[in-house]
Amino acid sequence: MSIPLRSLTRTLTRVSRTTHNPSIIRPIVLQTPPHFRQIVSRTPAAAQFSTSPIRLKARTIGQIRARNATGPFSWKSALLFVLTGAGMIVYFRVEKERLERKRVAEMSKGVGKPKVGGPFVMKDLEGRVFTEEDLKGRYSFVYFGFTHCPDICPEELDKMAEIIDKVKEANKGENVFLPVFITCDPARDTPEVLKNYLREFHKDIIGLTGTYDQVKQVCKAYRVYFSTPRDVKPGEDYLVDHSIYFYLMDPDGDFVECIGRQDTPDSATKTIMEHINDWKREGKPLKKD
Amino acid sequence: MGWLSWSSNPGQSSDGGRIAPNRTSRQRCWEARDHFFFCLDNNDIIDSVKGDKDARKKCGKEIAEFESACSTAWLKYFKEKRVMEYNRDKTIERIKKEDAATVQDLKSQGWTAR
Repeated sequence: MSIPLRSLTRTLTRVSRTTHNPSIIRPIVLQTPPHFRQIVSRTPAAAQFSTSPIRLKARTIGQIRARNATGPFSWKSALLFVLTGAGMIVYFRVEKERLERKRVAEMSKGVGKPKVGGPFVMKDLEGRVFTEEDLKGRYSFVYFGFTHCPDICPEELDKMAEIIDKVKEANKGENVFLPVFITCDPARDTPEVLKNYLREFHKDIIGLTGTYDQVKQVCKAYRVYFSTPRDVKPGEDYLVDHSIYFYLMDPDGDFVECIGRQDTPDSATKTIMEHINDWKREGKPLKKD
Repeated sequence: MGWLSWSSNPGQSSDGGRIAPNRTSRQRCWEARDHFFFCLDNNDIIDSVKGDKDARKKCGKEIAEFESACSTAWLKYFKEKRVMEYNRDKTIERIKKEDAATVQDLKSQGWTAR
């Protein structure tokens, strides 16, 4: 990106140098004043790139001379040149970042690329069936965990709560973001247990649970490692090892990016909002109700 | 005090799940853990699983508090995590020292860092 930018700047400089170079225009003008307008109109490139079209309006040689007396590089044109250049640099940087995010976002859409996410059937805490279709239409934020988790999950869920509020604020209250908590420990995490647990973090978090095989299936789809034993004796105390990432999924249900332990609520919100804004800018459908 | 009864007689939720520790009991467990580990630090005990006897002798009050505030699985987890983190930090320190030594060595041979 930096090379085309540099060559473009170079071209621009060259063009402006040619159009402003008095040695080309002035001698002709002075020697053959009657043809001046013709010369100008015959060179549309000059008219197009010139930052001082007022030249065309000059009627007498005196006016032309007065205008050229300051030279082509007046402070105004220099300022304009610098501002345009700075503007373009900023624009190219922004555009570069956007394309980079787009590349990341579309990486999982291609054929033969690693796919995170996919079909699953679980139940929400009201007992309704919840599948991957229910995630679509909004950006979803999926986290896997279990309620008997000693320290990492609670910390991450506190972070999730902060992210939910920050993203909501950044979207001016639009309901475009769907935070989801999927349990890896269905034997202990029944709807009632999950409901009480999640309520302490954020009311917007949707808790999902299911049978052992359903949980296994969704973890497989999201490439989540978990170590929940299948047959747990009632009352047995155990921990579950599991992957600790947040998965950001786009409204098509495709994986976009991981948010990990190293992210702060602010850096995570920034990443999420960049993707949401890109999606909005491209005019793609997004549920807001 | 839900914790003590919890470990011997698990608190069942009405739909057959197991009631999870809430924010308050988590906080209580973490505080008890920090007190216990502070005592271990003062007595130069890293591994309180292998050094259980020693830990109980020197930090009897703290370990009792820790055990009453956290579930069995959590006790084991935190004790093991302490050892793991200690070893991790030691490894990082060792690598840093080795790096510094290598740089010193290279500098003495006329190499300069850019």
